[in-house]
Amino acid sequence: MSALAHYLEDEGLPTVAISLIRLHTEKIGSPRALWVPFELGRPIGAPRDGSFQRRVITSALRLLETATRSGTIEDFPDDDPTAVDLPGWQPPFALPAGIADGGHDQDSLQREIDAIAPYYERFMAASRRSTVGLSGLAIGDCVRFLTGFIAGTPLPDVPPQTSAVQALRWVVDDLKAYYFEAMSADELSPASRQMQSWFWDRTRAAQAIIAVRRQLLASDDKRAQAIGRMNMVPGAQVLRLGLG
Amino acid sequence: MVRMTDLPASTQTGMANLECPSFDTKPFIAGPPLSQRRVAVVTSAGLVRRGERPFISGDTDYRVMPAEVAPDQILMSHVSVNFDRTGFQRDINVVFPVDRLRDMAGAKVIGSVAATHYSFMGASDPRGMQANVKAVAGRLKADRVDAVLLTPV
Repeated sequence: MSALAHYLEDEGLPTVAISLIRLHTEKIGSPRALWVPFELGRPIGAPRDGSFQRRVITSALRLLETATRSGTIEDFPDDDPTAVDLPGWQPPFALPAGIADGGHDQDSLQREIDAIAPYYERFMAASRRSTVGLSGLAIGDCVRFLTGFIAGTPLPDVPPQTSAVQALRWVVDDLKAYYFEAMSADELSPASRQMQSWFWDRTRAAQAIIAVRRQLLASDDKRAQAIGRMNMVPGAQVLRLGLG
Repeated sequence: MVRMTDLPASTQTGMANLECPSFDTKPFIAGPPLSQRRVAVVTSAGLVRRGERPFISGDTDYRVMPAEVAPDQILMSHVSVNFDRTGFQRDINVVFPVDRLRDMAGAKVIGSVAATHYSFMGASDPRGMQANVKAVAGRLKADRVDAVLLTPV
């Protein structure tokens, strides 16, 4: 962001950047930046807290008036009040069966989807939006794509000029979004790390994504290896689960 | 709270060692009081409109986000899996705070909200984005924008 700020100012536009990684902002030298102590992915902080968000944005924009030299970094003083663990939190649904059998075939994954579908629908109705949709496939086709990729069976059609591996990344992003939105169906959304742990420990979808990652890493194709390494399982979960 | 020290050691090392562009100049453009400024959002969150091609690794181009696009038409296609998406899923303003800017324009804290906002994908080397940022700057100036709020993920 700091480099983009520099390029925009070079073109005559005043900028202020939110900084999540203070070190990078210091190194690059953003014209003006507000460092925020929030989780990566949440530059404005607390979801569904307009008052908090306005405070963050106002603090950033005020730097347009108060900063007197390039390289100004101000620190936002408050944490995101929603980024807290909720002891004992469970998602609002029960999965059809444990994952002890390690099964992530199409039928068992579809049963899991069927179990959480009402909660995904509830989330979507309450939020009036969903972030599922990168692949352009219906969620059932995402399941078919993922399990078909693992089993080496024919895959649903992907958009023209899109490789199967690229489409796989979008399918995985869509599946994750579907689960996390279902997990957020009630207002009791805990810190993201709690949701992440639950997803990666408890779902067949996660088991399938881990299997795909393993397959991509073993591929001869360098792009497939890179997508397996970088775009499937968060680094924190790779470490926590000892996936290597 | 999540700070560098809360991240896995490998992520911390990667961030500490990330090669950052350096600049010989320090541009610093002044402007009118905030209450008179027209504000745009430029994000590196890899946002796309539903149906647009998602960003892929190495992309240095940008997507146009007209202010009137409904939130349910905006998806996140950043390639990294190492940041939280649950905040954005619950509230688009966590990353793309156009509703908040509208509030602030209504309260006369800022002058107005730009007609169009822009999204890049921040996992790519920003040095490859320079020409595209210049193009975005031209579009922002044509929209009389004189304040850009940059949001990373």
